[in-house]
Amino acid sequence: MATYDWVFDSLGLRDWCDGSGASSAPMSMADLMGQAGATPDTTVWDTPFPSMNALNDACASFPQARELTRGLERGFLDIKDSLSVVLDPLTQPLSWALNGALWLFQETPWFVMIPILALIVALISRSVKLTGFILLVFGLLAFINYYDYAMQTLAIIAVCAFIAVLFGVPIGIAMSRSDRLERIMIPVLDMLQTLPPFVYLIPLIFLFSVTEPKLYGIAVILYAIVPVVRLTNLGIRMVDPEVIEAADAFGMTKRQKLFGVQIPLALPNIMAGVNQTIMMSLAMVVIASMVSAPGLGVLVLRGIRNLELGVGLVAGLGIVLLAVVLDRSTKAALARVNAAQKQ
Amino acid sequence: MTDPKISIRNLYKIFGAHPEEALKQAKAGMHKDELLEKHNHVLGLRDINVDMQDGEITVIMGLSGSGKSTLIRHLNRLIDPTDGEVIVNGENIMTYGEARLRELRRTNMSMVFQKFALLPHRTVLDNVATPMIVRGSTRRSYEAEATKWLDRVGLEGQGAQYPHQLSGGMQQRVGIARALTSNSDIMLMDEAFSALDPLIRTDMQDLLLELQRELQKTIIFITHDLDEALKLADHLVILKDGEVIQQGEPQHILMNPGDPYIVDFIADINRARVLRARTVMERTKEPRETNGEVRTTATLEEVIAQGKGNADLTFRVMDGDRQVGILSMRNVLTALAATVDASGPSDRK
Repeated sequence: MATYDWVFDSLGLRDWCDGSGASSAPMSMADLMGQAGATPDTTVWDTPFPSMNALNDACASFPQARELTRGLERGFLDIKDSLSVVLDPLTQPLSWALNGALWLFQETPWFVMIPILALIVALISRSVKLTGFILLVFGLLAFINYYDYAMQTLAIIAVCAFIAVLFGVPIGIAMSRSDRLERIMIPVLDMLQTLPPFVYLIPLIFLFSVTEPKLYGIAVILYAIVPVVRLTNLGIRMVDPEVIEAADAFGMTKRQKLFGVQIPLALPNIMAGVNQTIMMSLAMVVIASMVSAPGLGVLVLRGIRNLELGVGLVAGLGIVLLAVVLDRSTKAALARVNAAQKQ
Repeated sequence: MTDPKISIRNLYKIFGAHPEEALKQAKAGMHKDELLEKHNHVLGLRDINVDMQDGEITVIMGLSGSGKSTLIRHLNRLIDPTDGEVIVNGENIMTYGEARLRELRRTNMSMVFQKFALLPHRTVLDNVATPMIVRGSTRRSYEAEATKWLDRVGLEGQGAQYPHQLSGGMQQRVGIARALTSNSDIMLMDEAFSALDPLIRTDMQDLLLELQRELQKTIIFITHDLDEALKLADHLVILKDGEVIQQGEPQHILMNPGDPYIVDFIADINRARVLRARTVMERTKEPRETNGEVRTTATLEEVIAQGKGNADLTFRVMDGDRQVGILSMRNVLTALAATVDASGPSDRK
């Protein structure tokens, strides 16, 4: 019989094992092979780890490993409805924002949209070279008929990165003020950052309908919010303690200190966080195309699914160009902040 | 004597996890090294009692680790003591709540920092106006006042610059102007000139003395530099390992060092430039045959120069047009050699 029979025998649990009748667990591959008469020779070298499956062999009442994942799934499905009742209205504005942005970016004619984008870049970077580069990139994307896809991607990034910064900066500030909150948040942020992006999508698919934009919106925000939270926290904690002391010595209130000293001095770090947040939302928006996020990611997905090599590669290069544009613009803004307050 | 402006009473500061326990030991007489070894607590300050008079410069001097920066931060409670009282204008500020404390910091005390601690994202003018901005002044109301103090410290027309565009000496002038703008009667200066190079440091000391003659503030000045301490101090407090080992008038400490540590300390200084005629003269009002007159505040260096190096002269020491004493070259030379006498074998020079 099974290797770990003795465990249950010596604990006097044999009755409990057999009591529930024959194994309720679904048949496993090993069972099937056993029935086929292919009982392998067992030597001491083959002793299995006392895993759930091995213990189930010895005692039918012991749950198999698949019960664990199934239990998790069942548990999630049980709370899903009540969770949806709470989350649905809370996240509805995200859907509206995404739909609105998508509509705005696509309905605005190209000869208005491209100059506006160039103007924004010119204002934040004050660089003629960069502005020219932006015009060139969007001109190129439009020329190869990828303009609409690029605008969809840009619309999603604009909304998601904005919301990530909107929530991320206050969370980072709160973290910088409380060591306890920092201790709680750091593992959460680590998890959000290392969890494979696909894994975000799985529970979200259960919670929301795949046709709703907020599904990918939430995934993008969760993935992209991490750097801005981290760097805001870090930036505020790294403000020269002597300057903080001076602020205290002149009797600043906490609010005056936060808005007059800490945030302005942490701004280079916060801006670096915003840059990273934008780059990560771009990365995630491509993956989110699997759950109906429109944009260049859809073309990449089509390239993979239909083995359309050219479409996939050109869309990929389009994403690279978009990334370069976003990165250079935010870095130029960052450089201007840095120049204003170097010591 | 009038009541002191600031009075520190039995102040203890102990850094560590359980300062109350260690406080009992410190009060029972345990010193810094022993406390660290046996209880793993750092004794910051031990039984400090100092009176700081209105309108005087009190210099607190000590080497790094002596607790001088910790002590000055107790005066505006950037650090709270483990035990003891700090009395400012007759009120114990340990009883202050948050709002009252902020009021004290805004109106009664200003501070100048070693590394300037200016706000790098604000212009020099806005930095100088910080105390007024904190109190809620609008630009229109603070501009004139801030410009006035900026001009007073010799930075005319630099208001629109950013701090990083100025040199270290100029940045500290901004720091001083900022402290003056708050119009407080107490100024705390934490190693304010230590980060500056020697020539600029001398300039800044002269600037401070000049401002002090005019404004008569109560200044508490921290330094590790004895020459600076002697130049500025009306009242000198010497700290070592968190304890006051001697305090008093600087000239008095120089002539009567109360501790071998202080003897070592003063061994290096140029006594001729620091000691003054009134400190080493014989007090007598009766006129004598002399070779000339010197003022009470003349340094020995000036006396020697006046005697052109002759070793057998005597001078009348004059306060105004009144004779207060007689100074012979013998007195001068004895005073210059005093360190060697007092210190004996412990002196290495």
